[in-house]
Amino acid sequence: MSTETVTPPTGRADRRGARQDFVHRNFGVLSISAVLAVLFVFFSVQTDAFLTTNNLVNVARQVAPTVVVAVAMTFVITTGNIDLSVGSILGLSAAALAIVAESGSAVVALVLALVLGLGIGLVNGALTAFGKLQSFIVTLAALTAVRGLALLITDGYSTPITSDFLLPIGNGRLAGLYTPTWIAVVVVAAGWYVFNHTRFGRYVVAVGSNAESLRRAGVDVRRIQLAVLTLTGLVAGLAGVITAARLASGSSNSGTLFELEVITAVVLGGTALMGGKGSIIGSAIGAVTLGVISNGLVLLRVDVYWVPITQGLILIVAILLNARLFSGISGQRT
Amino acid sequence: MTSGTRDLSTPRVEMRGIRKRFGALEVLRGVDLTVGRGEVVGLVGDNGAGKSTLMKMLAGAVVPDSGEIRVDGTALTGSGPRAARAAGIEMVYQDLALCNDVDVAGNLFLGREIYRPLSRRLDHKRMHEEAAKDLATLHIRISDTRQLVATMSGGQRQAIAIARAVTFEPKVLVLDEPTAALAAREVEMTLQLIRDVSTRGVSVVLITHRLQDLFEVADRFVVLYEGVNHRQMTPSETDLGGLVTAMMGK
Repeated sequence: MSTETVTPPTGRADRRGARQDFVHRNFGVLSISAVLAVLFVFFSVQTDAFLTTNNLVNVARQVAPTVVVAVAMTFVITTGNIDLSVGSILGLSAAALAIVAESGSAVVALVLALVLGLGIGLVNGALTAFGKLQSFIVTLAALTAVRGLALLITDGYSTPITSDFLLPIGNGRLAGLYTPTWIAVVVVAAGWYVFNHTRFGRYVVAVGSNAESLRRAGVDVRRIQLAVLTLTGLVAGLAGVITAARLASGSSNSGTLFELEVITAVVLGGTALMGGKGSIIGSAIGAVTLGVISNGLVLLRVDVYWVPITQGLILIVAILLNARLFSGISGQRT
Repeated sequence: MTSGTRDLSTPRVEMRGIRKRFGALEVLRGVDLTVGRGEVVGLVGDNGAGKSTLMKMLAGAVVPDSGEIRVDGTALTGSGPRAARAAGIEMVYQDLALCNDVDVAGNLFLGREIYRPLSRRLDHKRMHEEAAKDLATLHIRISDTRQLVATMSGGQRQAIAIARAVTFEPKVLVLDEPTAALAAREVEMTLQLIRDVSTRGVSVVLITHRLQDLFEVADRFVVLYEGVNHRQMTPSETDLGGLVTAMMGK
């Protein structure tokens, strides 16, 4: 490796080191971008409908909830935690939005849907950070309980949404793109800024990398854990609002297995499940890749059951590439 | 607190009559230790002699059963890690100090990052500049503060850990086995760093099994044997063999 102390600052080995560092840091993003590019070209060639404005605008809307939650999930996974409850929170938020909007104020419904997500996230975070429980177990319990709650308040029926205030959140258009797409763009930009350019983002990485070191540096690690899990709850609530508004209906079943899609997107983007390393842009591209796969396969008129199979296979290939190539390129010492 | 009451003869660290019992085992049985300003003390003793426990007490992580700890004449006994750090005690623990996935500057500034107040944006540029300056002051040669710590050698990481402790401007730096698991050249680098730090007036307590290192940097050896002060000597009074003999309680 090229990191000897005696190397003068302008040495060739040093520049090679800097280049390796760039690849090291961005390997996940680079590899998932390559996968997306290949899929994009493949579907464009193989189908007439894929590379049309209409289709791409629709894909950009469909993937929005996954993109939005994947950004928040990147923070959680980078701290070395996980949030399995986002799909159930999405379902509860969507159902609550529709039910309250039907019988009362649309604004109250919107606020309530978001506060529900925030509240559940806060409970997840508090139990993990201050109750010293594993986030896997805490959010697994929430996955079950919150879905049950959603079924309870809806009796299993879906509720139509007719509010002129809420529907544009799913179907409004600005400059050719739907509102959910714009929300996703804003969330990605904000997430990228916070992750890479604020102390909070730095501490998220440090918690996953070496929490003890951060604690010794005088930072309250528990507050960071509480914050990231609260954030996924809130954002999952937002995803529920987007989904329900787009479908003009709130169903307690929406968001089933959504958590796995989000986690897949994050891992595809190069975020380490063990924590310490994450990429907001990678997660966004990962989510778009999953959306492009399901859209492309449908357009190819492949049996719809092939969609999850293909997504699973691509996940395995991406992780194998990450694990093998990554260790080879970075030369990381532990 | 009135200034001027502390004359230079007040030792930086004064530990008196320190006792500690863990269950049936009395690890420390009335140990004394004084460290002067800018002095490098080599704390030696066989395994179980009580060196690490004594230093954990200084760092506030362990509370003594009895005895007194003073830093610059101010009592610090049993007031916890935070108070110890506020009093200027920094301890470098091997491998616990750094975040592998954060770059050099990020590690040096962990917990006290520089950021612009309005946008909350980290001032990466200034942190890298100041990190490079800090490293240069300590003669630590790391060409790029943007390198991730994970990609660096053990010696470089140890140097960064020490540099980080030094940037807190401690009065006393406690190093527990800083040269274990380092290559020969890296050991020399770390020892030079210890010399540099002590010439800046920082007192250093060094615990190491590499006794030959102590002869290079220590001003004084304090030998513990089974929880009591056994011997105290200077490098000129003894040699490696003499030190080993003292460690064995003879």
